[in-house]
Amino acid sequence: MTDNVASNLTKPLRASPLGFRISLNLASVPVLAWLFLIVVLPNVLLIGVSFLKASGGVILLEPSLINYARIWNSAGFWVLLTRTLSFSFLGCVLATAIAFPLAFYVGRIARRYKTLLTVLVVLPLWISLLMRIFAWRIILGQSGVLNAALVSSGILDQPSDAFLYSPTAVVIVFAYISVPFIFISTMGAFEKIPRDLIEASQDSGATPIQTFLHLIWPLTRRNFAIGFSLAFLVTVGDFVTPAMIGGIDGTTLGVVVSTQFGFANNWPYGAAVAVALMISVALLLGTIITMLPTKGVMLSEEAEGTLPETNSSQRDTGRRLASIGVVASIFYLYAPLAIIVLFSFNSANLQIFPLQGLTLHWYQELLQDQSLLEAARRSVIVALCVVTMSVMLGTIFALIIHYARLKGARFFELAFALPIATPGVVLGIEMVLGTEIFSIPSGVARIVIGQMSFVMPVTMLLLLVRLRRLDPSLMEASLDLGANRWQSFIHVLFPMIRGTIIAGAFLGLTLSADDVMVTLFLSGGAPTLPIWVFNQLRFGFTPSVNAIFSLLLFACLLVVGFATWRTSARLVKAAA
Amino acid sequence: MGTSQTTVLSLEGVSKTYDGANKPALDDVSFAVRSGEFFSILGPSGSGKTTILRTVAGFEHPDRGAITMSGHAMNGVPPFKRDVRTVFQSYALFPHLTVRENVEYPLRMRGDAKSGRSAAAMEALSLVEMSGFADRLPHQLSGGQRQRAALARSIVSRPKLLLLDEPLAALDLRLRQQMQHTLVALQRELGIAFMYVTHDQGEALSMSDRVVVLNEGKIAQLATPREIYFAPNNEFVSRFVGRSNLIPVTFEAAGNGAVAHVENVVLPDLVASHCGAARMAIRYEAVRVSENVATPSPGTLHGTVEDVLFMGTSCEVNVRCGAINVIGLVPAAHNSSLEVGQPVQVNFDLQNTQVFYD
Repeated sequence: MTDNVASNLTKPLRASPLGFRISLNLASVPVLAWLFLIVVLPNVLLIGVSFLKASGGVILLEPSLINYARIWNSAGFWVLLTRTLSFSFLGCVLATAIAFPLAFYVGRIARRYKTLLTVLVVLPLWISLLMRIFAWRIILGQSGVLNAALVSSGILDQPSDAFLYSPTAVVIVFAYISVPFIFISTMGAFEKIPRDLIEASQDSGATPIQTFLHLIWPLTRRNFAIGFSLAFLVTVGDFVTPAMIGGIDGTTLGVVVSTQFGFANNWPYGAAVAVALMISVALLLGTIITMLPTKGVMLSEEAEGTLPETNSSQRDTGRRLASIGVVASIFYLYAPLAIIVLFSFNSANLQIFPLQGLTLHWYQELLQDQSLLEAARRSVIVALCVVTMSVMLGTIFALIIHYARLKGARFFELAFALPIATPGVVLGIEMVLGTEIFSIPSGVARIVIGQMSFVMPVTMLLLLVRLRRLDPSLMEASLDLGANRWQSFIHVLFPMIRGTIIAGAFLGLTLSADDVMVTLFLSGGAPTLPIWVFNQLRFGFTPSVNAIFSLLLFACLLVVGFATWRTSARLVKAAA
Repeated sequence: MGTSQTTVLSLEGVSKTYDGANKPALDDVSFAVRSGEFFSILGPSGSGKTTILRTVAGFEHPDRGAITMSGHAMNGVPPFKRDVRTVFQSYALFPHLTVRENVEYPLRMRGDAKSGRSAAAMEALSLVEMSGFADRLPHQLSGGQRQRAALARSIVSRPKLLLLDEPLAALDLRLRQQMQHTLVALQRELGIAFMYVTHDQGEALSMSDRVVVLNEGKIAQLATPREIYFAPNNEFVSRFVGRSNLIPVTFEAAGNGAVAHVENVVLPDLVASHCGAARMAIRYEAVRVSENVATPSPGTLHGTVEDVLFMGTSCEVNVRCGAINVIGLVPAAHNSSLEVGQPVQVNFDLQNTQVFYD
């Protein structure tokens, strides 16, 4: 791979046309192969299958429009589509109400606790999605925490069953899932606004509200739209939440698609619904992004981030209000997780307060469950394979795209990112179709391929961003000082991108170990840990699930804590 | 010089220490800016010039002292309610707005009608010769054009006082000189008081009506450029402004007063009232270096050339005279053949020399 990189480094673009064409082809072969096999083919298959017929679970190779006709004429589909889109939309709007002010506070006002707050808000992304959903079941259930609190405080006479299995519950959980996405994307934009622009606005006579409307919002709305879209895509593709929380009125198209690829076993119809869902989502998000345009290029690179202190008398009350808001948001994010950890030590079988007594019984039970241990072992194997291969391929691809200057690098990036942007349930069935056509059996092999489809792009895109930020003259300096390309890579480039590669590996690890949406369709009879837990939740619940979740949470905290400690240690070293 | 003598801004005993700093950024600073005046604040980096500017604009708040504008106390007034505009060093053009929209911004914030806004913006742009670029976005402009756009934005609402924070620092030499002329012409035309912050003494001296020199948060001298240049109050100013030699001298009793000795040579023209060690500040251009070593006159030092720097219109010649080095300026057009190691004579033009006792 370095040979390809190297030959392109030596040959400027205007070298003999023949030489350029050859090296371009060599370098782009693996990139194009990946794009064809992992991105193009599954999408083509999905669209293709949606035009076929099924009879008794067998796909007939007869092109027809029967599935689309069925969708078009079905009142149920339109109700479900509206519901699906509005659940995600409302969830994201609710999340915006929390994440946007929070991002503003952390990005521009908080100084001392900035890093801590960022980590706290983003951390839930690393924590098992199942755990986060399940926690809300404990809170909202008929004998759940919320009901218990309402009854004991006398607001309700008896526990209500209105909280769980309702559309409201789905929206609340979607919002809960969406907060970190909207936060992280928006905070980046808030941080990047140079202080002097804000001062220039004040200096021009703009009140704080005018400054927000005419300066801050136009400069942050595009990032906000991206975060909003990301959260929307994640929730639209989430069929676990509606299935576990939503009840009958909370069903979404994601659930429909997953059942068509599950026990209903009508792949062509499921594919058609998926295609219809994708088109609707694309239209909606396209509109949102067009309505929130971005203009111009930020010129000054230095962004000092924080607003100058104001001496006004409102400052104290403002500060207090802001602090209360921040604490409430953090509480919203972590209270559900804390409840699960609490119940994992509770000796009673029911998830009700007050706790009965302390026990480690549920943890002991885990150790004796052979199928669980088997699933955990499988999860580790899958994660290791996925991360190793994704990191290697991601690094190679990023280097090729960056240094071989492939024509249309922008296009390649978008194409690679497509699986990340595909709603989970749709990506899942696409990978089923893609692996089915090569007769790859269900189980570890399929899972690894399926998970790589979204883990590899994440590691690659992270690295690509890093490579773009590097000063290109560093590599030139190394070459100028007599190091050859391989030496330059080892001694100059690699040390600079190592941190990013490791970060990508950690991210990939959690993405792989946590995935339900895609893996569920690929595992067959060989579940990974999250799938095993999901099956447990579906077919009856034991409190030992709390124990698993708690263990996963601790593992995740360890990894993130280690990573944060490493970065801060490096910062301290750099400062010294 | 301003036509009227009303003050637009006055600072009285303003002090400011930043959180965590042990030295004050501003220490009891008082001065007044008259309306229509070109007022410069000159000082090395860290001397507190930017702090003054940010305090006047309202981005920083003084610990002590009063800031008054046109008779109104300004201490608690937020930046957007002050009738001052700032030209930022980084220009701070809003990246998502066109040049015209940038210039309209202050008027829009004030709630002006659209038509009036547009006309005023175009007028301001034509004042800085930027009419042709009204519909561009900031990133499509060159550095000099951005500078002009930022200037137009800050004058469009005709404030009484314009603050300029090293606005020319990022421009190349030719553009910088061109912009100096533009700024002076603009200031005369608009009659707005300019408060110009710079570390470049050339800019301060060439454009200003009055200059305040700052050192470590204190005012070192406040005077006209000529006074600052020819009659610096103290050693700091003479060292910072212009290019001066600081030569150790001793005054020894002679007649009624005392006369200066440099390296055991008597300078009969430099007399003082009392004896002792001192330093004399003498500008490079007041040092004459001649190749003719044959006919010594009184007050002449002998030395050898250590190095010669070609500066364009002149050469700086560094001469070693015994234990001291003296730098003199000789015209470059002069077909001089000064070479390193050559013996020369050094004379002083003592007319504008300042003496500072230890």
